[in-house]
Amino acid sequence: MGVEIIFKITAVGILTAVVGQVLKQTGKEEIATFSTLSGLIIVLLMVLDLIGTLFDTVKNLFGF
Amino acid sequence: MEIVKIIGIGIITILCVIIIKPIKPEIAIIVGVCGGILILSQIINYIFDIITTFTNIVEKTGLNVGLLKIVLKIVGIGYLTEFSANLCADSGNSSVGDKIIFAGKILILYISLPIVTNIIEIIMELLP
Repeated sequence: MGVEIIFKITAVGILTAVVGQVLKQTGKEEIATFSTLSGLIIVLLMVLDLIGTLFDTVKNLFGF
Repeated sequence: MEIVKIIGIGIITILCVIIIKPIKPEIAIIVGVCGGILILSQIINYIFDIITTFTNIVEKTGLNVGLLKIVLKIVGIGYLTEFSANLCADSGNSSVGDKIIFAGKILILYISLPIVTNIIEIIMELLP
């Protein structure tokens, strides 16, 4: 649970942007939008469990 | 020495946010959230130790443990509201953040109601 998750998310973001651009150039607009959407969803899923652990720790810590 | 690690994480998060902001602004916000959570995960043990020492002190002096629970809950609510309000402010729409802060204040007031009634009862007993 170190810093590598930040690098992973940035990498996924840049990759989706590149793939989107490439698809846009070759004229496949719909697939470009789908690829950017899926990249965003992948990143959201990555962050989801992090936010889950945050709320759990705060709940246990402060005795909610 | 942990502060150096925390500062390192903060700088790395800022750099990643700046790198990715022009390319994909929505992922920049998520990276910001991630950095915040990582920084918190570094200091959880210290918060836990602080809370255990406080509970020991309260138990020793025979104070009402319920009061400490309320205080801890208030601190937790304060931290969470501040975390999300700053997140909203970072992403540009600080109006949502202000609403979260307002709701947090109301919740804290609601939770501290027993203390207020407690004090008033004590005062009523003192008066003849």
